[in-house]
Amino acid sequence: MDGASPLERYLERCGGQDDLSASPQLFTPMSPYDVDLPIQTTEDVLFGSQFNQPKELPTDFSSVDLSFLPDITQDNKEQNLSEDGHEMQKEPDGSTSRNEDSSTLMDESGLSYPDATQPSPEASGACPPLTPMTPMTPVTPASESSGIVPQLQNIVSTVNLACKLDLKNIALHARNAEYNPKRFAAVIMRIREPRTTALIFSSGKMVCTGAKSEEQSRLAARKYARVVQKLGFPAKFLDFKIQNMVGSCDVRFPIRLEGLVLTHQQFSSYEPELFPGLIYRMVKPRIVLLIFVSGKVVLTGAKERSEIYEAFENIYPILKGFKKAS
Amino acid sequence: MAARGSCPGCGSAALVEDAHYAQQQLVCAACGCVLAEGLLTTTYTEEEHLREVAYSQSTGQKEQLSRCLQRGIRRVQDLCKVLQLPMVFEETAVSYFQRALQHPCFHLVSLEKKELLGGCCVFVTCRQHNWPLTMGTICSLLYAKQELFASVYLSLQKELGLSVPALSLGDLVKTHLNSFRLFQHTADVPATFVEDKEKMVARTMQIVELASETWLVTGRHPVPIVTAAAFLSWQSLQPAARLTCTFARFCKLAGVDLPPPAHLRLKELLEILLRMASQLAWLRVFNMDKKTVVKHIGDLLQHRIFLLKNAFCLEDGEEQRATAPGEGSASSPPADGRRPLLPPCLINPRKRLRTAALSASDSAITGDEPISDSEIEQYLRGPEEIRAFRKAKAWS
Repeated sequence: MDGASPLERYLERCGGQDDLSASPQLFTPMSPYDVDLPIQTTEDVLFGSQFNQPKELPTDFSSVDLSFLPDITQDNKEQNLSEDGHEMQKEPDGSTSRNEDSSTLMDESGLSYPDATQPSPEASGACPPLTPMTPMTPVTPASESSGIVPQLQNIVSTVNLACKLDLKNIALHARNAEYNPKRFAAVIMRIREPRTTALIFSSGKMVCTGAKSEEQSRLAARKYARVVQKLGFPAKFLDFKIQNMVGSCDVRFPIRLEGLVLTHQQFSSYEPELFPGLIYRMVKPRIVLLIFVSGKVVLTGAKERSEIYEAFENIYPILKGFKKAS
Repeated sequence: MAARGSCPGCGSAALVEDAHYAQQQLVCAACGCVLAEGLLTTTYTEEEHLREVAYSQSTGQKEQLSRCLQRGIRRVQDLCKVLQLPMVFEETAVSYFQRALQHPCFHLVSLEKKELLGGCCVFVTCRQHNWPLTMGTICSLLYAKQELFASVYLSLQKELGLSVPALSLGDLVKTHLNSFRLFQHTADVPATFVEDKEKMVARTMQIVELASETWLVTGRHPVPIVTAAAFLSWQSLQPAARLTCTFARFCKLAGVDLPPPAHLRLKELLEILLRMASQLAWLRVFNMDKKTVVKHIGDLLQHRIFLLKNAFCLEDGEEQRATAPGEGSASSPPADGRRPLLPPCLINPRKRLRTAALSASDSAITGDEPISDSEIEQYLRGPEEIRAFRKAKAWS
């Protein structure tokens, strides 16, 4: 006997029954397991063995998890949970209809799905594979990592010194400051170690640029704050935040940008009349990549170092796929 | 007909329009409270109360367009007429313009930018229909700076989420050659310089395709390449008479601008052709140079697939040969005189001062190190310095 669909066969048999009043629960998707009990008493003992192991019996429909969907295996459970959440959002109607016409799916979901040993071939036949409507990232085959690590070139950070500053005073008393109020309303200060530049505004806010790592940026910002302190202002060091990180690397082979813009049109912008590189706006993580024909890639827009690494690992297989094709 | 609203006195919704002698009144049928009276409507709200509905509201559309929008739409339509674009393009461009102006980032920009926005909409429409319009053309029509046009174009693309297909080089060749004045005999164009348009277009296309295969097109402005290719194809169709004509003179005769990068593109194209010529059996005898190779461009183009394969080592072959003896990059020159087929920026890399990677000591920084006073004091001015500065500069 096919253990996967005893209920389905039973329901097919019952389809000929006209008398709905006899077992009203039969056609109520909300409480499918109530169907089982009359079966045991009125129908063959055949089905009895199937329902002797009650696992979690969800009577409430909303708690049904759709992870029995065919492409989910035990390993991919975590990865696809978000995808399932997405699907559940998108197709609530689909799920209810699915459960109405073949309650075998309910049966499968009743089995706690860590028992992934029980395959559900009926389920795979019954429900269509769901995929997200718009690709969040371009589909890449699982491959080994590139072995290339992008190098951080610039970090931009901001900090609040929390006191009003007299910019003319600062420009007069500090050697490393320039102040041209007609051109820009901030003092431009530079220090040698770490080699950075800071824009200091009269409100007490400061922008620090040019560092090569997050720690260097923080150290540099502290040094600027100390300079301002020594100049006589009660500077503090509040809300230090990394605003942008820029990295670059080289994939070491030339890239056909015209081809890349054709296949990844929704992410890329390639205007040779304006700029020689292709501007690729990756959605996850939210990073902008500048890809050049020489194979050099610039990644920007990151708040965390890991975003840059992740973005490069995402783009490398795409670029590599391109190289073989050309 | 029952009026909208509810009576402020009793809250009933049964409002009735009644006339008290000659005066119209809005009265509550339940309690008799008079809500509104008076014939003279001076404000729009009163109109609403007596329910005189304006035409624009009844049709559900705001018929009035602001003057700025009207002017912008007229400008877009004029641009389309000047460029002789089909009617469909005009409608699409106008709809993009209206959509764009509703966005907050375009609503409050300068008039100059709004005019550029109209030009950008026309440009995007043309590109989406594969009509080969270059930014240079639009900028010259609008008397606009290219940087400003570029920024407006990029923000338009981002805000409206438009996907703009790449410029098709083939169409650009045809359009660009249309503006050349070499296809008829005139006073300043000698008879030997006149050329048949079909032949020239076909050969220019072939040269541009060759340039695209050999990495000369990617990342570069397309118009100089087309101009250089047109020059070479024109020369090669009657080399005897035309070899003496320089590039600059050719452009002046054709009535076309000579863009500055075109000279470099010409040089690169000739270098490619020379390498290909070195592989052609019956040309190996001759000592080819930049001038003489032009005579044989026809043959070179005819056999270009074979010649490219032999004249340049392709990427994969280079890698296989390099990895076998255990060598690293493709920088080692191959023994048989072939060079790898790479973009020019990789063949002649410009020597750039690369800042060294983070050294070990740098990576050990935690960001919380103590900062010594002496280090900070080096950045502060001493009192004599300050006095000297005060005297030198008048600090207002």
